[in-house]
Amino acid sequence: MKIAIIGCGQIADAHIQEVSKIANAKVLAVCDSNRFMAKQAALRFAIPGCYTDVRTMLVEVKPDVVHITTPPASHLSLAKICMENGAHVFIEKPFTLNLPEAEELIDFAKKKGCLVCAGHNYTFDPAYQRLLDMHNEGKLGEVTHIDAAMGYNLKGPFGSIFMGDPRHWLHRLPGGVAQNNISHPISLILGLMPAGNVLVKALGFRVRGERYNDARDAFFDEVRAVLVAGHVTANLVFSCRSRPVQTFVHAYGARCAAIACLESRTVRITQGVRMPGPFGKVQWAAQDAKEAGREFFRNFKKILGARLHYFAGMESLIRQFYAAIEGKQEMPIPMTEALRVTSVMDAIINECKANDDKGCFRGGV
Amino acid sequence: MILVTGGAGFLGKEVVRLLVSQYQQSIRCLVRPGTSDSVFKDLFGGELPGSIEIFPASFNDLESLRKAIQGVDIVLHLAASLTGSVPAQISNTVVGSENLFNVCVEEKVSRLVLCSSFGVIGASQISRNGLIDEFTPMEEHPEFRDPYSFTKHMQEQLAWQFYHEKQLPIVVVRPGVVFGPPVDILSSRVGLSLFGMFLHIGGGNLIPLTYKTNCADLIIKAGLVSDIEGEIFCAVDDDLPSSSYLLSRYKKEVKRIMSIRIPYILLRQLAKLNVWYSVKTQGHLPTVFTPYKVDAMWKGHRFSNKKAKELLCWHPIVSMRESLGKTLGHEAQS
Repeated sequence: MKIAIIGCGQIADAHIQEVSKIANAKVLAVCDSNRFMAKQAALRFAIPGCYTDVRTMLVEVKPDVVHITTPPASHLSLAKICMENGAHVFIEKPFTLNLPEAEELIDFAKKKGCLVCAGHNYTFDPAYQRLLDMHNEGKLGEVTHIDAAMGYNLKGPFGSIFMGDPRHWLHRLPGGVAQNNISHPISLILGLMPAGNVLVKALGFRVRGERYNDARDAFFDEVRAVLVAGHVTANLVFSCRSRPVQTFVHAYGARCAAIACLESRTVRITQGVRMPGPFGKVQWAAQDAKEAGREFFRNFKKILGARLHYFAGMESLIRQFYAAIEGKQEMPIPMTEALRVTSVMDAIINECKANDDKGCFRGGV
Repeated sequence: MILVTGGAGFLGKEVVRLLVSQYQQSIRCLVRPGTSDSVFKDLFGGELPGSIEIFPASFNDLESLRKAIQGVDIVLHLAASLTGSVPAQISNTVVGSENLFNVCVEEKVSRLVLCSSFGVIGASQISRNGLIDEFTPMEEHPEFRDPYSFTKHMQEQLAWQFYHEKQLPIVVVRPGVVFGPPVDILSSRVGLSLFGMFLHIGGGNLIPLTYKTNCADLIIKAGLVSDIEGEIFCAVDDDLPSSSYLLSRYKKEVKRIMSIRIPYILLRQLAKLNVWYSVKTQGHLPTVFTPYKVDAMWKGHRFSNKKAKELLCWHPIVSMRESLGKTLGHEAQS
C-alpha cells in the first residue's frame, strides 16, 4: 500500500513512525507547502518523495492513502483534492473546522467511493479498548455516567510554539486550543454513550490572565461541559492548569465503576465492599492496592516485552483503517462517528462563546 | 544600527550588554511579541539605555521584519530554538531564518553574522585527537545527530545558499559549548544525569568551552571587522579544560554527586545496542545514542581558535581560570 503524508509538522512524525510498523504499507512521499519542513521529514525518515505541491505529489506518486496532518482549516480542501485523485484519506484531529465542513467531506467521499478516517486514535488506546471491552461484555452493568478529562500543558512542545506566535494557525480556530484537542475526550465519551442526539451544556474560561494583548489572550484554557444522551450523562474537563497533565475516562456503571488512564495505560475497577464500617474502608483500600498492583505487573511485563509504545492507539487505528480499505474489516471509526464528534465539538464551542461574559474567572486569577 | 535577533537569550543578552557598554553601539533587539523588556532592563541596572530599541516581531511576519530591518547595517542573528522536536525547531529556526535572509537581501544589509553551532561540523569523521577548526567539513549526515544539530546544519546551509546565490554578505560563527552563570557547567559533552547517577562520558576529552562574554565579543567582532564576508569562525576559548577536570572541580566546589565513568569504547557499544533495540522493537525506546553521535561528541578532539585571533584580532576577554571560577561559584551559591 502506497502512503503519502501532507503536512510535516510534529504529529506527522508519529504518523510516519506508526505506518512504518505496518508490513504492507510504506510511506513513499511527504508534502509540505514549506520546502524545509518537507525536506526534514524526507531526510530523517529516508522517504524517497519530497514535495511542496500536493497535486504534483498525487499525480507522480499515486498514493493509495494520504494522511492529512496539516492545520484543520485546510483539511476539507486537501481531502477533496486527494479523493479526486483516487486516494483514501486519514485526517488528523480535529476532523474539520465545523459540522458543515465535515458533512461536505463525508458526502464527497461517498460520491467518490473513498474512505475517510478521522484521527480519533485515543479510542484505540489499549487502556480505553479494555474499558470498552468491559462495557460491551456487560461487566460494568448499564453505564450511568462518564467523566472524561484531558490536561494540556501550554508550555509543552506544541504549546510553547503557538504561545510564542500570535499568528499561529491555532489562534484562528474558533475554539482555539480546546478545539484542537477536545475531539479526544469527546470521542472517548461517545464511545460509551448510546447512539442518538447529545444535549450539550458548556462553559469556557480564560484563567491564565491577559498578558499579550493579542490572539494569545483570546482562547479558552479551561472548558467544562455536560453531555446527555439517553439516560447517560457525562462530564468533560479540558484543563491547561491541572497537573499532572493526564487524559482519563471514568465510567460509572450499575454494577461497578472503572477508570482507564491513557497516560499510565492502566484500567482500575472499583467494585465496592461487603465488610461493615471501618473494616469496609480497609477492604476498599485493599481492593485499590490490588488493582494498582495488577496494573503495575501488567505494565512491567509489557515494558520487558517492548510493548508500551506511546502511539499504540494510532498504530491500531491506522492498521485497521488500511484493513478496511482492503475489505478485510469494517471501518474502525464509521464516517458518521466523525460527524457526531464534530457536532458535539461545535456545540461545546458555541456554548462556551455564548456564555463567555459569564465566565467566573474572567480577567484571570 | 545593529539588529540583534535572539537578544533575550542566554548568549544574546551578553551580546546586547557588550554592544551597548563596551562598543557604544545603537542597537535594535528583535524579540518575540509579548517578550517583556525587563529582560534588557535587568542588564543595565533596571533602566533601558536610550541606545536600545526593542522591536517585537515574529519571523513569520514579513512586513514586521521589513520594518525591523529598516536603517540597519549589520544583523547579528542569534535567534534559534534550543529544544523541542525537529519539526518545531525547523519551523522556528530555519523557516524564520529564510524570511530574515530574504528581507536582508531586499534591504541590502552590509553584514549578517549567523550564530551557528559546533553541531554542524562533521566531527564524527575526524580521527581521535584530530583537530577541529574552520576547515573541517560540515556534517555529512546531520539526520543522525540530535535535533538541534540537524536544525542548525540546515540553517547554515541555507545561509550559504543565500551567500552564493543572492550575495547576502554573511559571516558564520560556530560557538562551542557556551557557558557562564546561570548555565550548568556539566554539559552533555561531560556527561548525563540518569536515575540519580551522573554518567561521566567525556573522560579526558577537551571540552570546547567558550565563556559567554568571550563568545559574544567574537560575534560582535565578526559583525564589525571589514572584508571578512564568507568566512567561518570557531568560537572556543584558550586553555580548554578536560571533562574530568570540570567534573572534579564541580564535585569539590558545587556539590558532591555520584558519578560513574563510561569509557568511549563502552559507550560506543552501548550506542550500538541502543540502535539495535530501537530497530528491533520498532522504536520502543528512542535512539538517544548512536555510534555516529558518539563519534561526533565523545571521540576526543582538539579545537582551534587561531583564525579568530588572526582575522578578528579577538582574544578572550575573560580567562578560563576566571570564567570557571565565576560559573562554579554561581552554581555553588544557587
